[in-house]
Amino acid sequence: MPESLHLDWSLFAIALGGALVTWMTRIGGPWLIARIRLGPAAGAALEATPGAVLVALVAPAALSRPSDALAAALVCLIARRVPMVVAVVAGVVAVVALRRLL
Amino acid sequence: MTIPTSPRQEFAAGVVHSLPIVAGAIPFGFLLGSLAAKAGMSALDMGLMSALVFAGSSQFVAVELLDKNGSGGIAGLAVVGAILLVNLRHLLMGATLEPRFRGMSRARAGLALFFMTDEQWALALRRGPDLTLAYWYGVAVTLYLAWLSSTVAGTLAGALIADPTAWGLDFTFIAVFLCLLAGFWRGAGSLPPWLASAGAALAVHALSSGGTWHILAGALAGGAVAALQAKFQGKGSAGDA
Repeated sequence: MPESLHLDWSLFAIALGGALVTWMTRIGGPWLIARIRLGPAAGAALEATPGAVLVALVAPAALSRPSDALAAALVCLIARRVPMVVAVVAGVVAVVALRRLL
Repeated sequence: MTIPTSPRQEFAAGVVHSLPIVAGAIPFGFLLGSLAAKAGMSALDMGLMSALVFAGSSQFVAVELLDKNGSGGIAGLAVVGAILLVNLRHLLMGATLEPRFRGMSRARAGLALFFMTDEQWALALRRGPDLTLAYWYGVAVTLYLAWLSSTVAGTLAGALIADPTAWGLDFTFIAVFLCLLAGFWRGAGSLPPWLASAGAALAVHALSSGGTWHILAGALAGGAVAALQAKFQGKGSAGDA
């Protein structure tokens, strides 16, 4: 049997356990929210969550160095005016150039 | 935007919209695989983990812990616990998708939600009320296959991988998420929650070195500010949309 097909049972158990807890976090959100009655403030908070999550996802990486921050600003400027693929490619090209320059 | 589309077209749209994400994800899957090989995992071990857990950030944390502490007994339990903590953010993301899954059978929703990653969630939200299950699976299947094959390939190749940051591929994620963020702009009223989120995320990120706590912190801070805005509304900051 090739080494690449060797199965470590303790790693398999970890993968199964990790899969179970991860799946629970995935189904848990809709399940919980369907059972809770939300007031207007909580509704507003939930409505703002997607944007806040996206901001939190990108902020540390986007502001990690000046080159990345500039490229991120460029993407923000053009994001609503061009198709997503164009904005993404422009951002990547800009960041590669800016990282060499700065 | 009211052209009726077939499930096949919807599925294809999901595949196409995933491609920029796939381009960024493959180098990272490859990198994760090579780290796993270094930690003593076989391609089969890695493939099973990717297939079953399918959550990139948590897998990086898991492989790092496995490399440091091994997989036996308490160390193994700690890895599962770390995976849970890193993925807690799914609770908030899933909550925002609830209207799309309302009325769906439990089995169907449970299967579809298995595939909910950050990228899946963001693309689905962007689709808004027009989201179909065919579109969802177009994205899901594409991302799943890309992640599975790139992590396995990385493990097989071992430590061959060059640094993905050298080609700016790490920036792909930032750019995609910024484009998706632009879709949530609702005028100046969007700004306070976003700034609060950025501030909280940066602070927690600086303090916690690694992990994904900053995402949870940003989400909660942004949500709290939005709730305050709703409480004190009526004084001119209603937003335009």
